[in-house]
Amino acid sequence: MAVANLLYGHEPGVEHVDQLYAETRDLRLQGFLLFLISDCVLFSSFIFAYFYMRNSGQGWPPPGIHRLDVAFAAVNSVILFGSGATMHYALENWKHGHFNRYAMFMIATIILGACFLGGQAYEYTNLIYNEHVTWAGSGIFGASFFTLTGMHGFHVSVGVIYLFILLLQSVHGVYTKHKYFGLTAGTLYWHFVDVIWVVLFSIFYLI
Amino acid sequence: MNAVMIEHIVAIVGGIIVAVVSAVALKNDWKTPGMENQVFKLMLALLCLGAIIAILAGAGVLGNFHQGGNA
Repeated sequence: MAVANLLYGHEPGVEHVDQLYAETRDLRLQGFLLFLISDCVLFSSFIFAYFYMRNSGQGWPPPGIHRLDVAFAAVNSVILFGSGATMHYALENWKHGHFNRYAMFMIATIILGACFLGGQAYEYTNLIYNEHVTWAGSGIFGASFFTLTGMHGFHVSVGVIYLFILLLQSVHGVYTKHKYFGLTAGTLYWHFVDVIWVVLFSIFYLI
Repeated sequence: MNAVMIEHIVAIVGGIIVAVVSAVALKNDWKTPGMENQVFKLMLALLCLGAIIAILAGAGVLGNFHQGGNA
């Protein structure tokens, strides 16, 4: 290795990895963006189906079902949007080499994501046991609400696990100041679930 | 002060904080080049919009159906 350093000025293997990373980074980014776009199409199809069913019924919400609790959902939304902001600053601090601040923001993001899931679980419990709204027994309203918010909740759950894995990886030195595509992908994914919630919050609670 | 009032206050105050923070982040990143940064800027703008919607919902401007009935 010392001879290789002397001859080439660097370790050949390390240079190869860095070059490979630089060459494939844009492709990985494009692939990840395509994944997010496909996920966006999935949500869009369910949202359009929801609007179609909503407009073909007799008023909304259907008779016997109360309006959803807007104030609680607004708090839960702020928690999720706040986690998007902390995730953004986690990545920014990683780029600037501030590991402690990165870890702090990352942990805050994970906690806020878990709090959002807790809030959603509370809302589901309240709807099912107090309002008697269920996925299969409340017609279009229950089916569309639980399907779309459940699908989003699943994405948030996956995101929380994903961010936790990213945190562990960064602690164990998988990422460096210049090689951190996993963190970029994690941030994109987390922003994506935030943006999807902006739409779901608006269509289920506000209009 | 009841629980609903606290929820409204938390939604408004939290929404203002998130909107300001995301707007500042968007301003700081405004001139950064590259595809991923363009996506980040779009996401931050939508995050800011979401926070504003949450503020309006918390303030009762949006989603206030109590006065208008069930429809």
